[in-house]
Amino acid sequence: MSTDDGILEFPQRPGGVDPELVHAIEALLFASGEPVGAAALTEALGADPDEVRVALRVLTQRRRDSGVVLERVGGGWQLRTAARFATAVHRLIGTRPVRLTRPALEVLAVIAWRQPIPRSEIDRVRGVDSGGVLKSLLERGLIRTAGRSDDPGRPLLYRTTSAFLEMFSLPDLAALPTLEERESLVRARAPDEGAEE
Amino acid sequence: MQLVLPESPADPAERPWFTVHTDVFEGPLDLLLHLVHREGIDLGRLEVARIADAYLAYLDRMRALDLSIASDWLVMAATLVHLKSLELFPRLPTPVDEDAPDPREVLAEQLREYERVRVQAEALGLRPMLGRDRFARARQASDDAAGRPVASPVDAFGLLDVLFEVLARGGAPEPVVLLAEGGPDVGSCCRRVLTALGGRGGTGELGAMLRSLPHRPERVVTFVGVLEMARLGWLDVAQEAHLGPVRVEQLVDDEVIDLALVLGWDEPEPGEQMTLPLPGIGP
Repeated sequence: MSTDDGILEFPQRPGGVDPELVHAIEALLFASGEPVGAAALTEALGADPDEVRVALRVLTQRRRDSGVVLERVGGGWQLRTAARFATAVHRLIGTRPVRLTRPALEVLAVIAWRQPIPRSEIDRVRGVDSGGVLKSLLERGLIRTAGRSDDPGRPLLYRTTSAFLEMFSLPDLAALPTLEERESLVRARAPDEGAEE
Repeated sequence: MQLVLPESPADPAERPWFTVHTDVFEGPLDLLLHLVHREGIDLGRLEVARIADAYLAYLDRMRALDLSIASDWLVMAATLVHLKSLELFPRLPTPVDEDAPDPREVLAEQLREYERVRVQAEALGLRPMLGRDRFARARQASDDAAGRPVASPVDAFGLLDVLFEVLARGGAPEPVVLLAEGGPDVGSCCRRVLTALGGRGGTGELGAMLRSLPHRPERVVTFVGVLEMARLGWLDVAQEAHLGPVRVEQLVDDEVIDLALVLGWDEPEPGEQMTLPLPGIGP
């Protein structure tokens, strides 16, 4: 399977995918830690792009009920622990859950669904000054400035970053929940979510 | 002799009570939306009189609790009272054009839009969140410093070295009177650094930049400004070697730098000075 110079060879299989390609992708994703695009996987493995796509589907399927699942986030693929073990993980590694305040989530929501957007518009929609919140979101890398508007005063425009997509487990901005989904999500809120405080 | 019980002193500092900060309501819209839900008011047909009364009653309670009321809360109160008056009194025939939107509808739309934001924010908060619900592996440290030639980001001690070295220079202590004038202007200190770096990709040496400034307060404020700009991701501050020079590099275009975010202050109007008081710095 593996030749002397380390290049892997994956035999073409009609109607299926080489199991070793699936294993190789799993290894690369584990080693990288960060989300990796399908193109980068294809290049690192010298494999066929279509095969890689199929292998990613197989791997997603295989990992679905395990402790580490494969997710498409921020334009790449990433291995992440399953949410049901979060409490135990926090206990083991001694971390406190990442928390965003309600104002921070509101500002992120305004930017995410309406980007690019100037600060004045964020303030107007929320009815309060959002300067402090904007600054802390910039520091956390969840938003960035993206040029200036042509409006009078040429205000700076804000956008969400790929770190935002990664944080909220979103493959891309199109995956933001629609209004109907949002409402059903909020209605179906798990009872333990509110008891976080 | 008559004993006079003093009224509550006008100066809040003299009042014997504790000041309680509450973040329950973030702003007037937040409160209004809460009242609309509590009163069961339909946002499609905004009953201004009811909501105005509830809002004003709440402001009275805030005042009774000595919660400070920011001006935007009062602006909203004035708007509501105005809208209520429009409902109570017959409209005068005015030459106002008929196309102007109903101010009640404007307020209702603002509330509906804010409510959408609230729902969106809640939906975001419910998503599986990295670092809260899910975890990814941290990338392994590697030997070869791919990319930048910079060995390491500078640590606090390296920065303090630069600051102390720069502050120790300059010989004679400066007169205290300089500080009483309010200190240097953060915005222009930051702008001077950016000019010296000369746009995206421009670099400079932190110590040299600070030493080129004649006065201590300016040096300190410039130092703080550089830290702030680095924190906001506009500058990279790094040291190529242990005890080596501290290099500053501009990472972004001048276009995207918003100095209003430095230290959380708004950029001053032209002619107005933004100053940083510097207590305790000086000889």
